[in-house]
Amino acid sequence: MDEVTRRKWDRAAANFDLMAGYGPEKRWEPFKRELFSNMGEGKILFVAVGTGLDLTFFPEGRSIIGIDISQKMLDQAAPRIADYAGDLQVQQADVHDMPFAEGEFDQIFTSCTFCSVPNPIEGLKALRRVLKPGGDLFMFEHTGSRYFPFKPMMNLMTLLSRQVGPDMNRATVENVVAAGFDLQRVTHVYMDVVKTIHAVPHGS
Amino acid sequence: METRPYFVAGDIASNLIVGALVGGLLALVFGPGWNMFVAMVVGMILGMVISLPFAFLFGALFGAMETMLPVMTTGMLAGMVVSMGAAMEAMRFVDGALIGGVSGLGVFAVTYLANALVKPRAAKWTK
Repeated sequence: MDEVTRRKWDRAAANFDLMAGYGPEKRWEPFKRELFSNMGEGKILFVAVGTGLDLTFFPEGRSIIGIDISQKMLDQAAPRIADYAGDLQVQQADVHDMPFAEGEFDQIFTSCTFCSVPNPIEGLKALRRVLKPGGDLFMFEHTGSRYFPFKPMMNLMTLLSRQVGPDMNRATVENVVAAGFDLQRVTHVYMDVVKTIHAVPHGS
Repeated sequence: METRPYFVAGDIASNLIVGALVGGLLALVFGPGWNMFVAMVVGMILGMVISLPFAFLFGALFGAMETMLPVMTTGMLAGMVVSMGAAMEAMRFVDGALIGGVSGLGVFAVTYLANALVKPRAAKWTK
C-alpha cells in the first residue's frame, strides 16, 4: 500500500466534508445522479469511497464493493454506508494493489478519484484487470484544462493542493485511453475541467 | 450554463468580493514609483496569491472548480489592471476596489460564456 497517499488522506479525513461536503456536492448532484443511474444489477466496484458523500446519489438495491486507501475516510463514511439501501461492502485497499480477481466486476465507478491516484495509468490498468471484458467504467473526474489562463493556473494550484489533497491538472481522459480503454462518451460538466467519462476495455 | 439562483448569486458575489478586495489592497501597494511592466507582473502574482484562500473558501460554499477558477482569474486580472493603473497614477483604496469589482464581474460573465462554448466540445473525445 502507498503509505504516503494513505497518510495524506488519513489527515484530510476529519475536515474533508467541510471543503467538499456542501458546495461541490450540491453543484454536481444532478450530474452525479445521472452518472450513477447507470449502475446495473451486476457486481459493482466503487473506487475511493472517501467520506461517502456520493453514496446518497446511488440507486437503491445495488450490489457494490467500495474501496478507499484511507481507513479514516471509511470511518467517516460509516453512517452513510449504513444508510445505503442495498448491498454495500467497503474495505481499505489501494487501487494499485486490489485484492480482487481478474474480471470480477461488471461495472466500475469512480468519483473524483484519479486526481489523487499517484500513478494514474497504472491505477486505471488495475481497474481494467478487475473489470469483465465488455464491462463499463464510469467516471466523474476533474482534470486539467487545455485553455489559457486555466492551464497554468491549475498547474500552479497543484503545487499547493497536492500537499493536502488532489492534483488539479491531471490528463485523465488521455490516461484512460493509455490504460487500454476505449472511450464511449465524455461530457463536460464545467468547461473542460469537470467531466464524466464512460469507457470500456479496448476490444470489447 | 448554470441557472440555479444560489450558484449564480454565489458566482457573482465571490468574484465581486475578491475583485474588490484584491483591487483595493493593491491600490495601496503600488504607486507612480513603480515601473508599469514590473507592477503588472507583481500585481498579477499578488492578486492570485490573495485570491487563493478565498477560492477555497467560496469553493466550499458554491462549488469547487466552478468557483475556484473564476475567482483565481479575477484575482489575476484585478491585480494586473489595478497595479498598472496605480503605477501610472496614485489610486485610492476605493478606486482600486471599484476597478477590481468590475474586473470580477467581467470574469464572471466571460467564464459563463466560455463554459457555454467549451462544454459542447466534449464530443471531440469520441470522434
